[in-house]
Amino acid sequence: MNPVELSTATDRDLLRRYHEEGDASAREVLVERHLPLVRSLARRYAGRGESLDDIEQVGAIGLIKAIDRYELSREVALTTYATPNVVGEIKRHFRDKGWAIRVPRALQELNGKMGPTIERLTSKLGRSPSIAEIAGEFKTTTEQVVEAMEAGSAYAPLSLSAGPSGDEELDPMETIGSTDAGYERTDDRASLEPALAALPDREREILRMRFEDGLTQTQIAERVGISQMHVSRLIRRSLERMRSQLG
Amino acid sequence: MPVADRIELTTPVGRSWEAVIRMVLGGIADRLDLGFDQLDDLQLAVERLLAEGDPHDPVTISFELSQGGVRARVGPLRDAALADALQGPEPPPGELTLPRILSTVVDSYGVEEVADGHLVVRLEKLVRAQ
Repeated sequence: MNPVELSTATDRDLLRRYHEEGDASAREVLVERHLPLVRSLARRYAGRGESLDDIEQVGAIGLIKAIDRYELSREVALTTYATPNVVGEIKRHFRDKGWAIRVPRALQELNGKMGPTIERLTSKLGRSPSIAEIAGEFKTTTEQVVEAMEAGSAYAPLSLSAGPSGDEELDPMETIGSTDAGYERTDDRASLEPALAALPDREREILRMRFEDGLTQTQIAERVGISQMHVSRLIRRSLERMRSQLG
Repeated sequence: MPVADRIELTTPVGRSWEAVIRMVLGGIADRLDLGFDQLDDLQLAVERLLAEGDPHDPVTISFELSQGGVRARVGPLRDAALADALQGPEPPPGELTLPRILSTVVDSYGVEEVADGHLVVRLEKLVRAQ
């Protein structure tokens, strides 16, 4: 099917092409075609502390899952099947972030100051500071530091739904590749390799430096010109994105 | 590594519970005076195991603390493919696999118990001289 034929084909024809023939371009057309549905559903959840863009991205994951799980034997329209999947994905996202919403402001502020302080201490000490050393800088307890670190993790969910945070990072939708014919996730669960190629260049390079060259986060931060905490976040998010692709 | 203290945490698995595990690890890192990067490594190791191990039931994570470091045991993980991957040969250079991630972020790891399809993965992180 050429691009024009794909764009005019019915949902059912596209689903058949994707599920029976492994035609990834049919899946892409379906995703693109039903993104307005995702946007419409996402708008219902706007104003709850998340940007609409982020909610739409989460909803898009639900759409993709619906397309992937759709059974051709069903006599139901894709929109009907996808709607609860999209809504469910968005609700799950908010539920999982529930803890974050209740983080006290003092911890948020402490977390905001922590990155530069860790950088400064790392430079001064020639190594990564301990929690006690970080606490000493803020004249607070180590428990507060641990909680503030977690507050940062909670506010920046390291998942596919996190969305792009910079010009060099791809939208998660762009990182979702097609599934190879005959691919069995179970056999390759421990191998993230197939998804590596889909990452943005910078994230792929950071993973290579960390896991192939064995550089520390601090060394990577110096080379790339970002903070150690940002390196940590990018590594986690990259690994999570890759796993989501394989899932 | 002589064991001084032991902490055991049984928790449901899922993103909303990861914070609980990270907080416990943060407390342990404080007691052991681990560097921020070492804490991050340990958190990443546990997170990846739980993510790739795909447990369906609550998981128990036990920590044995000594002056030399921390030994964690994570399980049960019911995943034969994971056991094979962790017990198999070293992955070729350039391949990003769970074994490569673990060998980068912890000092040693191993599959400690495999019975009835259940496995427990052991992770060891040594205290680096400050």
